[in-house]
Amino acid sequence: MYCKKECIAMLLAGGQGSRLYELTQQTAKPAVTFGGKYKIIDFPLSNCINSGIDTVGVLTQYQPLALNEYVGNGAPWDLDRTRGGLTVLPPYMGSRRSDWYKGTANAIYQNINFIKQYSPDYVLILSGDHIYRMDYSLMLKQHKETAAACTIATITVPMEEASRFGICNTNPDGSIYEFEEKPKQPKNNQASMGIYIFSADVLLKYLETDEADETSQNDFGKNIIPNLLANGERVFAYRYNDYWKDVGTIASLWEANMDTLGPSPVLNLSLPTSRIFSRNIARAPQYIGASAKISDAMISEGCEINGTVEHSVLSGGVIIEEGAVVRNSVIMEDVVVKRGAVIDYAIIDSDTLICEGAHVGDPAGDKNHIKVIAKGSEVK
Amino acid sequence: MSAAGIVFSNLNDNNLSRLTADRTVAAIPFGCRYRLVDFALSNMVNAGITNISLIANYNYRSLNEHIGSGKDWDLARRAGGIKFISPYQTARTPNSVMYLHHLEALKSMQEFILEIREDTVVLSDTDNICNLNLNEIIEEHETRGADITMVTTPCTPDFSSKGSVMMVDADEKTGCVKRITKSTVPVKGYSDRFINIYIVRTAYLNAVLNQSFRENLQSLSEDVLMKNTGDKKIYVHRFKGFVAQVSSFTDYYRHSIALAKDPSLRAELFCGERPIYTKVHNSAPVLYREGAAVSNSMIADGCVIEGTVENSILFRGVKVGRGAVVKDSILFGGTDIGDGSTIQCVVADKNVSISANSTLSGAPTLPFFISKGRHV
Repeated sequence: MYCKKECIAMLLAGGQGSRLYELTQQTAKPAVTFGGKYKIIDFPLSNCINSGIDTVGVLTQYQPLALNEYVGNGAPWDLDRTRGGLTVLPPYMGSRRSDWYKGTANAIYQNINFIKQYSPDYVLILSGDHIYRMDYSLMLKQHKETAAACTIATITVPMEEASRFGICNTNPDGSIYEFEEKPKQPKNNQASMGIYIFSADVLLKYLETDEADETSQNDFGKNIIPNLLANGERVFAYRYNDYWKDVGTIASLWEANMDTLGPSPVLNLSLPTSRIFSRNIARAPQYIGASAKISDAMISEGCEINGTVEHSVLSGGVIIEEGAVVRNSVIMEDVVVKRGAVIDYAIIDSDTLICEGAHVGDPAGDKNHIKVIAKGSEVK
Repeated sequence: MSAAGIVFSNLNDNNLSRLTADRTVAAIPFGCRYRLVDFALSNMVNAGITNISLIANYNYRSLNEHIGSGKDWDLARRAGGIKFISPYQTARTPNSVMYLHHLEALKSMQEFILEIREDTVVLSDTDNICNLNLNEIIEEHETRGADITMVTTPCTPDFSSKGSVMMVDADEKTGCVKRITKSTVPVKGYSDRFINIYIVRTAYLNAVLNQSFRENLQSLSEDVLMKNTGDKKIYVHRFKGFVAQVSSFTDYYRHSIALAKDPSLRAELFCGERPIYTKVHNSAPVLYREGAAVSNSMIADGCVIEGTVENSILFRGVKVGRGAVVKDSILFGGTDIGDGSTIQCVVADKNVSISANSTLSGAPTLPFFISKGRHV
């Protein structure tokens, strides 16, 4: 029934994203809109299919409605397959135990049977809250070449931010001798991206040991990886040096959106070789009216623009009336900005009405002072 | 109510020779990211029709690629869905027929028509672009007990068509068709013109097919509808909304520019309750860089704009370079306008590239056409 797969992916998409405040009140973080027409989860899912991985378990827990609906049967990412494909894995009731997912490792542990169905040699663990493009097949190649038990993707972060991350201290051959979760005094700035490839037998063994340990927090960074290192397993870093952004805060979400703009954007969303796929609804083409003034902006299908848009990212179906001004902002789906309204340094969640003459945000704002308007609001 | 659909993709090709050099009429790009067939298919799908045959005669490669499995129209179904019917040779018919008329096309697919279980069949060409509520029309057809309902639109005095179209004279009250004639311009006494969409009772269609085999009939209009019209149960449904009839290259240009200039046409053609579906390409949203100045234009995903665009329609992935000016033009997918170039009244087929600082201009009545892949 289930055919063997060399490598399957487990995508942790249950996070609440509490530091996104209003944006994740009703929506899980992976389903937050990004870059006009995308959701955050489009990036890991597109990476999977672009890397030749066609079996993905999506683990959901927090506010899964929007996420489940968006992911559906996986068709937008070519993950609707007869063998493999995309499977949503929510927490479930068992005959002996029923639990919410207690931690990242426990979430995978509770789905060991899903993994076993495909008898994979390798399991890729992903999280649903990062914006990046990665060819996981290159990471898998290194994992095989180094005969590692576990490979952790790492990225160089500024030294002053290193204490926010899991830091990998490596030997010259790339093997990791120490992993420190959010160290106060980081020894270097190679941060874990939260992307792991495990040899499947190693993963299953350590998940079972971890589950048996009642003192464990059942977390990959805090428990599983330190345990592997303590037992002398071969753990390697896979150095990644392209665009990667954790969009866990309002500032970083805003900044990542702005990274798609400018004369040579650091995040280019239209690379023909690694397309980012997303679910499409049949919106009308965008219309730019007679009085529109648009500069340095990204605008999606279904928008009708008659006002001024500068250095902003607009999702589908947004209406900007004549005389309205939008600057340095992220506007999500189906927002209407009425005549004379002015928006500066803001993230406006979907289905919001900005009434005539309203002012949102501060023209002198910056990435640390972004005004957030919750979904479905009306701003007078 | 249950209905099946048949879409004719090739008829009328000759009138649009430049745009149909290597595609069918159905596959002509229109309105930013659609092809003409999308309007016919979406009208059917929005009326709950999910058993559709798409007949193609020749030049159908791009159409076939566009339709794929039919998934983007929700027509990849186990029961029904979309069926692509192209000519093929059998031992009995070694020379497959290049049909010119609806009836010949229908005769070639009789075995499929016999399998239709729905009571009603909608027959549609793709050259009259509109967004209509077929459900209402089918209901009216069934209530009247009609054999055929012809969907028409009021014929305005300025109408003209490159090929002849059916002009219809119907009873104002009952909608019953009194007489039909063919013409390229309005005819006195015939208030409506046919927009090439028929609603037909399936049993009647089968009877007509049998008769046409017996009597070797070839044309549905001349051999069936126009003969003893008054004795048949033929009705009109008069559609008063926006219809863009694309009978010639100038028609095509005129309607496209009208769509760019008049937002109310866009609102009607792409109305929210009946969306128009098309093949999904997963291009990134449009990027407007500094120096962009855009007005009265429809712009598709994947475009990058650094210059001026006015009264134009840009398909997917068009690049307008720095300081370039595009006016009153229609640029198909992948067109690249070099920095500092000026183009006006141009229709550029797919993947045309125009080098920097060139000037190209046509006239509104005679737009300049650049064929697929050309470098200027």
